[in-house]
Amino acid sequence: MAFFRKYKKTSASSAQQSQNRIKSYRLSSGLKENLAKIQSTFCDTPDLVIRKLVIKQTGSQAAVIYLSGITDSKAIFNNVLDPLLFKNDREHDEADFKVSLGHIREADSWPEIEDALLNGETVLFVEGLAEAYIYDTPKFPSRSIEDSPVETYLAGAHVGFNEMASVNVALIRHQIHNRELKIKEMTVGERGKTKLSILYLADVVNPEVLKELENRIKQLNVDSIINAGVLAEYIEDQPYSPLPQLLLTERPDYAAAQILQGRIVTVVDRSPTVIIGPATFDVFFKSIDDYGSRWMVASFIRLLRYFGFFIAIFLPAIYIATISFHFEVIPLKLLFSVGESRERIPFPPYIEAFIMEFTLEMLREAGIRLPAKIGQTVGIVGGIVIGQAAVEAGIVSNIMVIVVALTAIASFIIPSYEMSSAIRLVRFPMMILASLFGFVGIVVGFMILIGHFISLESLTMPYGSPAAPLRFKEWKDVFIRTPQWSLEQRPTATKAIQKTKAHSRPPGGDDS
Amino acid sequence: MKMAKPTLTLPQYIFLIHGVQMGVGVLTLPRETAEAAGTDGWIGIVLSWVLATAASLIIIQVMKNYPKGTILDLLRHYFGKWIGIAGTILFSLYFGIMATVIFIREALFIQAWILPRTEVYILIALLSIPSYLIVRKNITILGRYSVLVFFMTVWMMIFFIIPLKQAQWLHLLPLLKEGWQPILDSVGTALFSFGGFEIAFFLYPFLQKKEKASMGIVIANTLTLFIYLIITIGAFVFFSPDEITIYNEPSIVMLKILEFRFIERLEIVFFAFYLFVISVTVLPLMYMTVYCTSQLAGEENHRRHLIWLLIIAFVYVVLVPPTFDQNKLLQRLIEQAGMVLAFAFPLCIWAYLLILRNIKRRGN
Repeated sequence: MAFFRKYKKTSASSAQQSQNRIKSYRLSSGLKENLAKIQSTFCDTPDLVIRKLVIKQTGSQAAVIYLSGITDSKAIFNNVLDPLLFKNDREHDEADFKVSLGHIREADSWPEIEDALLNGETVLFVEGLAEAYIYDTPKFPSRSIEDSPVETYLAGAHVGFNEMASVNVALIRHQIHNRELKIKEMTVGERGKTKLSILYLADVVNPEVLKELENRIKQLNVDSIINAGVLAEYIEDQPYSPLPQLLLTERPDYAAAQILQGRIVTVVDRSPTVIIGPATFDVFFKSIDDYGSRWMVASFIRLLRYFGFFIAIFLPAIYIATISFHFEVIPLKLLFSVGESRERIPFPPYIEAFIMEFTLEMLREAGIRLPAKIGQTVGIVGGIVIGQAAVEAGIVSNIMVIVVALTAIASFIIPSYEMSSAIRLVRFPMMILASLFGFVGIVVGFMILIGHFISLESLTMPYGSPAAPLRFKEWKDVFIRTPQWSLEQRPTATKAIQKTKAHSRPPGGDDS
Repeated sequence: MKMAKPTLTLPQYIFLIHGVQMGVGVLTLPRETAEAAGTDGWIGIVLSWVLATAASLIIIQVMKNYPKGTILDLLRHYFGKWIGIAGTILFSLYFGIMATVIFIREALFIQAWILPRTEVYILIALLSIPSYLIVRKNITILGRYSVLVFFMTVWMMIFFIIPLKQAQWLHLLPLLKEGWQPILDSVGTALFSFGGFEIAFFLYPFLQKKEKASMGIVIANTLTLFIYLIITIGAFVFFSPDEITIYNEPSIVMLKILEFRFIERLEIVFFAFYLFVISVTVLPLMYMTVYCTSQLAGEENHRRHLIWLLIIAFVYVVLVPPTFDQNKLLQRLIEQAGMVLAFAFPLCIWAYLLILRNIKRRGN
């Protein structure tokens, strides 16, 4: 299906060009013409290998063509060249060039041949045949399966996605052994031809949501999808929102868990992250650890994350507002110590806060860009030298350093990198509002945030569920997590057609 | 992308109505009732609740005659095009003035309590931003907002219970100190605080389960009654009967005595958060205004009208710098108009529709 679409697209774009191309669209039956055509198409392609040979079985002239870097040369030698050159099995049909490979197909048009070669497949041309045989021999360079360096968990499987879509799909299949796990393949990108695999449970996922996702992907017309983040930005509902509306993860166990909740996973070839939608705000605060550890601990950590969320957004703003507008709110004793530490500071609190927040953001970014060994130096320089020296030099106050440090830690405890960056971004407008209007500014900022939050959608499903629209029944797995056996329902926000999961009673429940 | 028709769930319907009722009234209610009936004022609140609930039920009865549309469609259907247009203009004026008055009152409160050195028009401009962002969406979003804000702010009621440590419950006794007359007077003022349920005229067609409309509106009124009673009785037993009338907003002054180890002057924080409660009153009223005007202009999208409404409010504040007295005067006027719209108007239509149905039945 996907191949047919691609085929149509290619023909549509070439229609604008000369008639000649359409004429030479089909393969010719002469081996020489075909080879000449290949050589002209792939000029300046030193990794193109053309191996001419005589097939022993039929005695006809032939050529095996492949791109050397992206094919499995062992498979070609052993399973293609060897049978063709040396096997003479008269029992078979004369024209049947069976080789010992699993996947063989035939093609008769140039675009197909081109695609096949670029996909790492091997093409066999035979003299006198206007068709070519395509053998499945791709072997792109790839790294082995490792634990994801970005998302580290304690309790989950220590397996992360890598850059091969087929491997990633296999990793998810490994988690869900079910025939209802369906995979739809699509190709996106005029030049990149990125393969997307959409994974879902056919008897759980809502067909309308699936259709919406497919439609959005189909409408894309881009050169190439470099990684999953690019695709997510193209298909999300509200690009002008600071909040991420689709969940990105590098962990197959988490992706599989989301599929079981009735969500759809899009695997993007060449990207170690997959896209999960429709997402609600609460999935960005969950991690697979919450389900692996005991429920009380998990609930406590969840609450901590939401607390951290508010700290990260509002703490610097509250500091600015109280110091510059409402110092009477602070109890007297605390006010003394705050005043003492601010005594030598020549700046108003908002400038102080902005200096420190920007410094922190720069340190964070520097820590990411540098190699891990130098990264530690940045931490020492930033944390000890700048922090300590700035206080001693009387540029920022001790309290401000504490506020900034708390904010940073609070923003780092959120499991999703997208969400924690969004929070760090939202903090700055809040600080500006607080410096202009004090608490009123913070409340107005909060109102704007809520107004945006309640109207946001992810693949047309409400983003704020189960907080807005309010669904108290589903709060079992939002701010806290109740024991596993009590989580019987899939979230309403996925609009799953099969609402109830397989579930069992608590051990030693009512019956015993 | 297909657009589903916006709908309201029962909680959204309840909290929209309750939110519009709460508003700014709760800050001054203890003083106003005490001025009329002393510490018996709370009986007046209960009586007003009875009246308000009766009127709300009549509204639902009226709307049952034309469940597909709002009151504007109903007027057009039963009384013809011109009365429909007149009704639309009246409603949009009523909601428009009401929304603007409370919107300006919100800014005045902020100026009085938190930011004494900021101009009112700057505050109006600031408050316009979230108002625009929320009201430009549909009624479902407003419903979600009301529900969320209710649960975000309901904990604030706890702060009204803490000062009761110093309460003098004897202030409430004896009941009916001066007979029924002052209580009946206080009904007049307390009734205004229940105003707002008339938005049910516009919410009814969006409600998913229409058979629960009556129950929902009674719940909304009762919720409002409970919160009013807690705050009023709390203020009555906290202040002495003579002292309470000195303060403009006794509900907030009460919180001044609250002090924690980590926070003092709690009323400032409290008031900042209270802006959420006021916004739940103002935003639906603004939505109703622009809903009516966009119906009048025959436009699907009310965004442009909303921008104009906010600009008009801003220009008004710049040209006529508002004061509390002037704002209160306007509020009195519009509330009296509200009494007609919320009590007399549904009663008349209801009676008319009943008669109409009887005539039809007899004709058959």
